[in-house]
Amino acid sequence: MKELRAFARADGRWGFRNHVLLLPLHQVLSNVSREVEDLVTGAVAVSHDWAGEVDSDFERISKVLSGIGNNPNNFATIVLMIGTQIENEIVERSRTQGSVPLHVLSLKHEGSMSNLRSRAIEIATKLVGQSVKEKRDIAPMSAIVLGLECGGSDAYSGITANPALGIASDQLVAQGATSILAETMEILGSEHLLAARAINPTVAQQIIDVVARYEKSISYEGIDIRGAQPSRGNIEGGLSTLEEKSLGAAKKAGSAQFTGVLEFADVAPTPGLYFMDTPGHDIEQLSGFAAAGVNITVFTTGRGTPTGSAVIPTIKVATNSEMGNVLTDLIDLNAGTIADGLQTLEEVGALIYDEIIRVANGELTKAEINGQHEFNLSRLYGSTL
Amino acid sequence: MKAGIRSHQLILPSVVCSTHVSRRIAQEVGGVTFAHQHGCAIIGVDVAGIDNFFIDLASHPNVASVLVVALGCETIQGNELAEKIVTRNPATKYLVIQESAGVDDAVSKGVVAANSLASRFPEPRHAEDPIVVGISSQGNAGELVAFLQAEGLHTVESSEGFSALMSAKVHLIVSFTDSMQPPTGFPLIPVINIASDSELHLAFSQEFDLSHDASHQEIAAKISTVARGEQTKSEANSSGEIVAPRLVRSV
Repeated sequence: MKELRAFARADGRWGFRNHVLLLPLHQVLSNVSREVEDLVTGAVAVSHDWAGEVDSDFERISKVLSGIGNNPNNFATIVLMIGTQIENEIVERSRTQGSVPLHVLSLKHEGSMSNLRSRAIEIATKLVGQSVKEKRDIAPMSAIVLGLECGGSDAYSGITANPALGIASDQLVAQGATSILAETMEILGSEHLLAARAINPTVAQQIIDVVARYEKSISYEGIDIRGAQPSRGNIEGGLSTLEEKSLGAAKKAGSAQFTGVLEFADVAPTPGLYFMDTPGHDIEQLSGFAAAGVNITVFTTGRGTPTGSAVIPTIKVATNSEMGNVLTDLIDLNAGTIADGLQTLEEVGALIYDEIIRVANGELTKAEINGQHEFNLSRLYGSTL
Repeated sequence: MKAGIRSHQLILPSVVCSTHVSRRIAQEVGGVTFAHQHGCAIIGVDVAGIDNFFIDLASHPNVASVLVVALGCETIQGNELAEKIVTRNPATKYLVIQESAGVDDAVSKGVVAANSLASRFPEPRHAEDPIVVGISSQGNAGELVAFLQAEGLHTVESSEGFSALMSAKVHLIVSFTDSMQPPTGFPLIPVINIASDSELHLAFSQEFDLSHDASHQEIAAKISTVARGEQTKSEANSSGEIVAPRLVRSV
């Protein structure tokens, strides 16, 4: 087994990065966050369009904002707020979830945007200075909370990158790690196969129920998801039906037993393989992972997407060599060699496993090198869920 | 096409996945862009809704030229979006990341395309048409509307947010900021924020363009100087994200 080295957090969790995160709690502060990220090397920022609305999506939004502030990859989080009660509630929620120190700055207290910006730069600079002095410790494999993701899938996804990632996931779960499959739309049609792998009948029923609930939530306007998926990019990549896409997508979770089902952005209570109810939308899923304390993600892609996360290192695996050998500054590993007949599934699975450990130990992903990360707040807009 | 009071180059990401490349291009060429979470995994009425919203942004009178930056595999296809925009704004090009040789190559190509648009369409349009003022207010702004109309300005009133006023092609917005909200802005459109006398607004009063007791004459004078090019506070801070109209959850 390879040695894992990580930052020990006071609450017992482990971080594979030591980020200083800028977290705005109102959309008008998104640009200040980005400016601080640009000016202070080592700081990362998220931005979003929420303006404090308390509606049917508020609980989901509060959960994601408080959760990402407390991701174990954060050394500290600088919270930027206007100075309202609803923002205080989100800060308190984040504080009760874990040990990441929150440094709160409010426009109301600072009196102007320029004061707020100056204070944020000053604190971010100081915190980055402290964070780079921190040392990693030897960590158990249970430190890994792995997110499994795919986006821009093609006909190769289900026979190259996804099953190879499944091999790596199985190995990590067997060694005590947590691994999370998600994207409810992408198991639609294969839920019975996943339910058969549940650790007990309750979890099996939860898998069936979460897919049924999802299908109901998107058919409330009479929309048939099977007509909207696969996406145009998927079809151009050779996928014929949603069921074909689903059967391939589920292969990311290997063959381990499912320990439980998680609601969107919920923290996994114990190690093991989980299914989390998230949209298939890549960034909504990744943001949900970040809020759930996922500390490393592997993202398989057929068409090639540059996506990353501010707090989670995201390893991009190409499903085919045609793309993987061209978009080299956004792909970390090419699993297209399996279809080329150059490597076996097991060999690429081992390469993905090794890459996960290397990146966990500090090697930068392409998305991190590019400074590429997106974030958003998933909303249901009153869908019946 | 109507005359504008700003002459922005819009770097328009057709999907969330191309917002970062768009930002790098915009920073290089001095263009305006924005982060959003749309363009893919959308269904039902949102597909046409987002498509039309992007077309409205790109054909806004304050936009001089448009570079659509697409990823390639998304629902809103960049080439199709650009084809719809170009009929309204001839200074339009598009770029597809997945047809480039990677992120850096896409940024380089985007910078070249944006600069060529700027040189082909160099002239900011001069305002001869009447200025259309959007008024964002939760209450009744009837007296102000009558006053501004007497000054020769056109007005559009809305309580539905800045995006609705953008789609109505207002040149600038006068916002009676909600007492529990900060002053905010909108990329492409100058927003004149008028304070209330709430405790919250008093705490950062210098972030407002006008105080709660501003007269109609003062508001009209501010509209005039902003229309001639004076930056509003939110323009100077580049503050304010774009909220696109959505009705259905992402799939």
